[in-house]
Amino acid sequence: MNKVISKRLTFVVTILSLLIFIIIWQIIAQQGLLVKNFPGSFKTINALIWWVSDPFFDNGPNDLGIGFNLLISLRRVLIGYSLAVLVAIPLGVLMGMSKLAQSSLNPYVQLLKPVSPLAWLPVGLFVFRNSEITGIFVIFITSIWPTLINTAFGVASINPDYLRVSKSLGASKSITIRRVILPAIMPNILAGMRISMGTAWLVIVAAEMLLGTGIGYFIWNEWNNLSLENIFVAIIIIGFTGFILDQLFGFLQDKFDYSI
Amino acid sequence: MQKDSNSKKNSTHLELVKLGKIFFKEKKFFDLYSKHKKSSFEAIKNINLKIEKNTFVSIIGPSGCGKSTLLNLIAGLQSPTSGKIIIDGLSIKGPGPDRGVIFQNYALMPWLTTIQNIEFALNTVFPEKTKPDIKERAINYLRMVGLEKASNKFPKELSGGMKQRVAIARALSINPNMLLMDEPFGALDALTRSYLQEELLSIWRKNKVTVVLITHSIEEALLLSDKIILMSSGPSATISEEISVDLDRPRDRQNIEQDPKYLKIKMRLEKHLLRETRAVEEVT
Ligand SMILES: Nc1ncnc2c1ncn2[C@@H]1O[C@H](COP(=O)(O)OP(=O)(O)OP(=O)(O)O)[C@@H](O)[C@H]1O
Ligand SMILES: [Mg+2]
Repeated sequence: MNKVISKRLTFVVTILSLLIFIIIWQIIAQQGLLVKNFPGSFKTINALIWWVSDPFFDNGPNDLGIGFNLLISLRRVLIGYSLAVLVAIPLGVLMGMSKLAQSSLNPYVQLLKPVSPLAWLPVGLFVFRNSEITGIFVIFITSIWPTLINTAFGVASINPDYLRVSKSLGASKSITIRRVILPAIMPNILAGMRISMGTAWLVIVAAEMLLGTGIGYFIWNEWNNLSLENIFVAIIIIGFTGFILDQLFGFLQDKFDYSI
Repeated sequence: MQKDSNSKKNSTHLELVKLGKIFFKEKKFFDLYSKHKKSSFEAIKNINLKIEKNTFVSIIGPSGCGKSTLLNLIAGLQSPTSGKIIIDGLSIKGPGPDRGVIFQNYALMPWLTTIQNIEFALNTVFPEKTKPDIKERAINYLRMVGLEKASNKFPKELSGGMKQRVAIARALSINPNMLLMDEPFGALDALTRSYLQEELLSIWRKNKVTVVLITHSIEEALLLSDKIILMSSGPSATISEEISVDLDRPRDRQNIEQDPKYLKIKMRLEKHLLRETRAVEEVT
């Protein structure tokens, strides 16, 4: 009973706080308390409804439905991210298992990890001479580190009992990796993949402002049109999409939670 | 499951010859400059031991003396720094499915169900067997420890005693000649422990295996073993005594404590452990 009530209560509180936020926003905008012509919440909501009700129209690259732009961004993220995960997991396992791999690769990881992914944009453009591939490349570079580091850490801190069982049965290295190490570090891999996805989604918006399509370019374009309410629409949609992506990993992490 | 029963009794199954293990500390970069030269630790030294086929042997010693180290060496999980381990006349090089190991923390894989844990062992040891064969065998061994109903449960859904039974089933499923157990019942409550002790004894009688059991409990050693090995305190621990337990079987848990022979051995064990534990306290 208690649980049902508190659940309903949190729902009501959430709705209420949202309503208050919308009203305050509208008042501030209407009174011109911030700057002149700052769009109010009503105007923004109207714009949101307009964009969402017809998300897929195509009147050339500078007038594209928000659904198309979102799909373009998602596609870039998904390709770059998947490539990164495909490289990061085997490399992470290698680094976790072998001291030699660890000490030869770690300097690069530590050096490149703190660099803003956007620094790679000009490099990508110079090498690939193609904005699409450059976008994917930047996402790749962004996504690789958290998954790589988490995987390597997972392998290094694996419960030695599992390895002992495997060894005592005379299991080969390949069986040990596939049937013991990989399942054992699944929680670490997923945690890394979740952070990677989060940063990839952060970075794609910034990268696309310079690349010419996608939700990030949409914002850049609306800035040139001086249409702040459309920028707010994009922000809401980016936030919502990021939230869904994150929840997806939350769901997966629950599935692979081995703890008691 | 029955192994050929006309294998000669009293033939040596396991022999340890001048076995020793030194743990070398990994040299880190900064150690080159440090003054501490203590770079290695001799856990056990000059262990000589013969264990007959199908006997039940317990190893007792003060905490930290090197019992687990000794068991890991016999299992082939670590390699000795000196000496030899001879099984059935052959010096061993590493781990093998002729030895089933049961670890203190059960060591079940949490991402596999009960039956999958056993199937993992079977698949690894018998890669040529078909899937239905493996499954049937796994179920048989789960039935043997009374857990066929829990076959699709995950380890986290089992009690400690149930987990240890799965671990026993897994170790036995590969049909080893030798069962190596490191304090298998240490973490269990008294009732579950005595229940599993009985179960272990009946498994041992039926399956004809040599058992090497590490335990902290004098009562457990006396109830189960043919022979008790006493280890001295470390570092450089070694075997200080071997005691034959010539009490009749089956041994009755309730009445065994009235047996004067039992009491005599028990006193001897207690004295030894007290002496060796005191030695540890004085060193540290
Ligand atoms: N990998 C290792 N590196 C260095 N020292 C080790 C290592 N493993 C064990 N030792 C040391 O060897 C000694 C014996 O350890 P071991 O675990 O065999 O003792 P034990 O008799 O099983 O103790 P307990 O009764 O507490 O289980 C201990 O002093 C321990 O610190
Ligand atoms: Mg131990």
